Amino acid sequence: MNPRIFVLACATVIEEMLPLMPPGAGYEVLDFGLHINPDRLRSTLQERVDQVPDSYDVVLLGYGLCSQAVIGLHARRHILVIPRVDDCIAIFLGSRAAQREQNAREPGTYYLTKGWIEVGDTPFAEYDRLVQRYGRERADRVIRLMLNHYTRLALINTGQYELDRYREYARRTAERFGLRYEEIPGSTTLIEKMLHGPWPPDEFVVVPPGETVRYQDFYPPDESECAARGLDSRGSENPEHPSSPQGGHSGD
Amino acid sequence: MSKEVLIQALADMREEEAVGLARQMVESGADPLDILDATRAAMDIVGQRYEKGEYFLPELLLAGEMLSQISEMVKPLLAKTQAAKREGKVLIGTVAGDIHDIGKNIVVFMLDANGFEVLDLGVDVPVQKFVEAVKEFQPQVVGLSGFLTLAFDAMKETIQALDAAGLRDKVKVMIGGGSVDEHVRAYTGADAWGRDAMAAVNLAKQWIGG
Repeated sequence: MNPRIFVLACATVIEEMLPLMPPGAGYEVLDFGLHINPDRLRSTLQERVDQVPDSYDVVLLGYGLCSQAVIGLHARRHILVIPRVDDCIAIFLGSRAAQREQNAREPGTYYLTKGWIEVGDTPFAEYDRLVQRYGRERADRVIRLMLNHYTRLALINTGQYELDRYREYARRTAERFGLRYEEIPGSTTLIEKMLHGPWPPDEFVVVPPGETVRYQDFYPPDESECAARGLDSRGSENPEHPSSPQGGHSGD
Repeated sequence: MSKEVLIQALADMREEEAVGLARQMVESGADPLDILDATRAAMDIVGQRYEKGEYFLPELLLAGEMLSQISEMVKPLLAKTQAAKREGKVLIGTVAGDIHDIGKNIVVFMLDANGFEVLDLGVDVPVQKFVEAVKEFQPQVVGLSGFLTLAFDAMKETIQALDAAGLRDKVKVMIGGGSVDEHVRAYTGADAWGRDAMAAVNLAKQWIGG
């Protein structure tokens, strides 16, 4: 029997997870604004992890390392599963490798997705807030400085939604702030793996009940050691907690 | 007196007043080090307000802008008084794959204001460029900046490349930016990490002296 999963996800990430949610999975959405303050994001996540009912086996985070906000988290009675990525951009693009490839190609990329546009995490929305607070002249200067060295605005198309409205918005944003517009293909590969397993150690941090998420889980001293460190060593300490939904963990 | 007023104006983001005051001080022959001292004190206050959540990124940017305007005014005077008296050399840059430099620019300003000769390589600096610059510029300290956690690998690679080039024991390496902490320091093999610009200045002072 597959484990019962409870998803704790950022408002921007849940958008892409909902269409693929397995039956019986529970979820809670957290405010996207938390990401700018990792300490607050961490304490909020911990609080929510602690509240997940015992009827679930696994708490799956719709987050990445997120400025180390997930380091130190622990679940007392659940297995904690986190995609082993830097942030949600990798989740939308389908893998850590895909994000690294995009980043190496053009580091000055401002990414947008449907979720980000909906929650208002865009240069336009930021600009409006700045105008309210500082007036137009200063807002112009600040937004220019904030976008300094950015060259491209990339709308990630995960293929799950009709993007016309967002495409138009993204294109206008790029034009207004002097960025080159590009639409890049996203992928649901990682989201599917998150929701349905398996959770291989090179792609997922799987933490048994009572243990803590560590920095080394995301950045092991030697990348080739990640399989041994991330999971197998832990698995052997806790043989009763298998590492993936296929592991046969019943939870009861 | 005007020094206190300048500190408050800077810390409260009253740009015109602050820049005007600094200009008056320069014109009336105030000690340029006093003016720099005021900017340092103001940056301290700005940093504290940022930590407390009263200020956000825009305030850091505005503060950075005010600082660079004032430093342009003060620099010519400093050059006269302490031309030969540089504390030491610091090479700095945002590592490959990262283009964020708001924090790094503040660090550059503060190192400069504290008497260090700083060579800033800019953003998205390839590993090899750091190596070449260490050979040519011969700094005592190398500062690697990065905002994205993606940048941690580039920091590590840069330090490994310095090692491979036989330069690692000739420099002290400090890292900073974003969520850099002791874990990241250990991961990258840097000598130290700093939370803010003052930490960078203190590390450089500790390593170079002065």
